[in-house]
Amino acid sequence: MSSRLELIGPQGLRTDGRRFNELRNMNCKPSVLSQADGSAYIEQGNTKCLAAVYGPREARTKAQVLHNRANINVEISLAPFSMEERKKRSKSDKRILEIASAVKQTFEPIIMTELYARSQIDIYLQILQFDGGTVQICINAATLAIIDAGIPMKDYVCACSAGCIDDEPVLDLNHLEESNTPELTVALLPKNDKITLLQMESRLHIDKFQQVMEMAAKGCKEIHTVLDKAVRENIKDLLKKSSI
Amino acid sequence: MPPALISPSENDYILRGVDSNIRADGRGRLDYRQIILETGLITQASGSARCRLGEGTDVLVGIKVELGAVELDGADEDVAAIKAKRGRVVCNVECSPIASQQFAGRGADDFNNELTQMLDRVLNGPQGGLNLEKLCIIPGQQCWIVYIDAIVLDYAGNILDTIFMATRAALYNTKIPKTIIQDRGDGEIEFDISDDEEEWERIEGWDKVPVAITLNKIGSRHIVDATPLEELTTEAKLLVTVNKDGKVCGLQKSGGGSINPSLLNDMVQTGRSLGQSLIQSLDEMLQREENDINLKRARKERIEKLGFFAAI
Repeated sequence: MSSRLELIGPQGLRTDGRRFNELRNMNCKPSVLSQADGSAYIEQGNTKCLAAVYGPREARTKAQVLHNRANINVEISLAPFSMEERKKRSKSDKRILEIASAVKQTFEPIIMTELYARSQIDIYLQILQFDGGTVQICINAATLAIIDAGIPMKDYVCACSAGCIDDEPVLDLNHLEESNTPELTVALLPKNDKITLLQMESRLHIDKFQQVMEMAAKGCKEIHTVLDKAVRENIKDLLKKSSI
Repeated sequence: MPPALISPSENDYILRGVDSNIRADGRGRLDYRQIILETGLITQASGSARCRLGEGTDVLVGIKVELGAVELDGADEDVAAIKAKRGRVVCNVECSPIASQQFAGRGADDFNNELTQMLDRVLNGPQGGLNLEKLCIIPGQQCWIVYIDAIVLDYAGNILDTIFMATRAALYNTKIPKTIIQDRGDGEIEFDISDDEEEWERIEGWDKVPVAITLNKIGSRHIVDATPLEELTTEAKLLVTVNKDGKVCGLQKSGGGSINPSLLNDMVQTGRSLGQSLIQSLDEMLQREENDINLKRARKERIEKLGFFAAI
């Protein structure tokens, strides 16, 4: 590694005080918006994201109609004040479009689109604050919003990142860590451990890959428990409200 | 996506409701929905606030203060001389597609632009209340640029009023680091920015920033804080911006219908008195929140932000 930045302190703790295998503090809540069919708010450390799902409904343009299944449309916007420096991004920013297409490809095989032929499902994501892990928070937020919208899925999709600092695999990187170490983002179906998304944009030794991969998978499972708990609590809440 | 439609019977229902001073959600003509105001949610920003009206409209404003060069070009020398001694405020409003289907794709571009211009005009003019000269560090060279970014997160009518309320609260929450100016003697001026987190200043004049009251004319009456259905019934809109002294800082009429001069006068007066009392209650809310935080900090308790969990 070229960087001489101290990412791990003398006590073996990371810059934000976490251990190697510790996730950032995670908070989430489904059903937060009034207009959307399904919505969710999620916080992973200092990264905060809102998701809204509309549909399934009639496709907006004829060109988008698929005759055997629903078309999924993903749009991501980044708040201008979300990064360290203020920056206004256009909707056609290449990096954002790439993430949107990754999210779309992750959900296409999981959502049972064949039930809604000729229709469209819109997933909108708004990142309010950014501190690393955009792809993973987008996927987790979208999962929660789709469940909230009542759209049938084969399983939850949980995403988590892992990296490698000084030959030691670490879980859930923040922005400082992800810009200085190799990062691997994994999305997983927790029921059968199938991987639906795998992204790595830097160098990692093949011997380390297995360990980092396992670390990320473990993170996904932990995230699944958090999401599942939020969904169940929300349903209990709904039941309580409707029984009065 | 085409704008929503309203059926004639629904239209009639709202019209009669407004006429007999009881609206679909039980409010009177001049009642606001419950206002939830919260500041300091975005740690990366210099200041932030979120304002939620009832169960619906939700606006998040983030303010970033950055160093920049003063604006030097002006139409003539006088204007340029004034501008050289001032900081700047840059506004931007975005309607996120998560708020409503209407804002997806490029659907919100015109609307965003309209809202941005409206906010910009109020805050950059002399009626804006902010002391822009105070934001200048070295005249003719360096100044603070205040970037105000508003995002509409949820939509249930009356966006503009909410944007103004959230902006005012975010300005209150904004911390500008202290600067120490040193005169080198030979005309060279240097300055240092304090990196002590406790040394900061509030933007001077935040309390003089006006709020906006949108009055919707329905039938021969007018209402405030309209829901989306009421907005569809509205014949004409009048935007009144008022500051805390009860001075009208701006008027703008929009919408297809027309307003009688006598009714217009009436509407401006309503806007004025409502605006003044609104500012008073907003200031109380901000003060209460700050007192709460200070008290908890003194007792070393955990400060919990409501965030989106306050919504339901």
